[in-house]
Amino acid sequence: MQPASFHHLTLAFLFLLMTGCAAAPQSAALLQQTQPHANLPASVLLDSVPFYPQEEYQCGPAALATVLQASRISVTPEALVSQVYVPARQGSLQIEMLAAPRRYGRVTHVLPPDLEGVLREVQSGRPVLVMQNLGLDWYPQWHYAVVVGYDLNAGEVILRSGLIRDYRLALSVFERTWQRAGHWAVLVLPPGELPLQASETTAFDAVSAFASAQSVEGVSDAARAEQADAVSAAWRAGVQRWPESQMLGMGYGNHLYGLGSLPLAAEAYQQVLAAHPDYAAAHNNFAQVLLEQRRLEEAEMHARRAVELGGEFAETYRRTLQSVVAAKAR
Amino acid sequence: MKKNSTFRKSLTTLLLTVFTLLSVQMPAMADIVSTDQLAYEQQTQTQREAVKSFLSRDDVVAQLVERGVDVADAQQRVDSLTSAELNALSEKIDLLPAGEGGVGLVIGIIVVFMLLDIAGVTDIFPAL
Repeated sequence: MQPASFHHLTLAFLFLLMTGCAAAPQSAALLQQTQPHANLPASVLLDSVPFYPQEEYQCGPAALATVLQASRISVTPEALVSQVYVPARQGSLQIEMLAAPRRYGRVTHVLPPDLEGVLREVQSGRPVLVMQNLGLDWYPQWHYAVVVGYDLNAGEVILRSGLIRDYRLALSVFERTWQRAGHWAVLVLPPGELPLQASETTAFDAVSAFASAQSVEGVSDAARAEQADAVSAAWRAGVQRWPESQMLGMGYGNHLYGLGSLPLAAEAYQQVLAAHPDYAAAHNNFAQVLLEQRRLEEAEMHARRAVELGGEFAETYRRTLQSVVAAKAR
Repeated sequence: MKKNSTFRKSLTTLLLTVFTLLSVQMPAMADIVSTDQLAYEQQTQTQREAVKSFLSRDDVVAQLVERGVDVADAQQRVDSLTSAELNALSEKIDLLPAGEGGVGLVIGIIVVFMLLDIAGVTDIFPAL
């Protein structure tokens, strides 16, 4: 037994060394650049972002309240505790951190693992929620904080963290702790806004998750209408930034169809088809709208095209065609 | 109390009937491909790509070769994995620590999937 545990110790020691020397490539690249960064001033501090000194282990609710407040939602960390804090784990799960803002009508966007991108968001006035592993990979100390500023001359990032309002941390140290938490960085934005750096796919993920969270039962008609508008705004922003996106276009079209706005839904599907003429799902959904608009000739054409193209949802396409044919026979 | 529960029961029955009727009257809703379906399809696609890119990492290729697995074959097999299998795999890959410790485990799972696929469980793992 002894040689084995000795072996483990050696490994642990080596690993310690490795972690201690772990590179912080993004910080190095950021700080080595001698030329001033395009649109990235040397230092920024979002001083108006509120600060909630956290209770023990409750950095999740505190950090979340900070970013929600910054996006004009007034909520206290106390109100968030029951939504995101898991007493048994003495912490908050990332998935809950992503879900909670949706209940307040905010869209959560997971950012790419790019440090400069995070600083750019801060520079544009948006604090960024980050997760850090303050410990080591094999002895993790998870922590949530909010990036509210940076100072490239001093090589520091400024966080709302724990009990310190403006916690200045060396950029390289921040990068390592952030890296050990999987480079997890999140923006909480009002529907209709998008991160500076986003891909079609990440925007779709963010908006579709937001949309599903909004369609909850038991709210008043007025609240429901407000939610529907928020979801429309979120999809529209995506479609405007990526007019040729299949997924965003379909999401927007489906949302409009769900609201019963047939002409607008038709427009959205048409826009998808203009960029992707062989996309079966768009033909199918467009055919369904045309059917409900009693434009049966066009509906049949698109339904047939969808069936021809086939694919994952071929069964749905056949059903659509059947109902179009049945409607024509009537 | 008892009255209350009878009331509840009949209310439930009533609501169920109403919902059933409603869903019968709205077959149209079923005929569009929903955003959730698209999201699911997209997720599967992303996972497939993640597993494939994992399989083309140098260290992973080395381990596959060591186990006598044909790399091109493994890549191809990823296309035939079901979304549940992909889910399990990419979850494992995501959970891999920054170090290389878990790579062997994930490769083990991939190999098992391949074997299941090729020969069926009972031929290779009679114990299962």
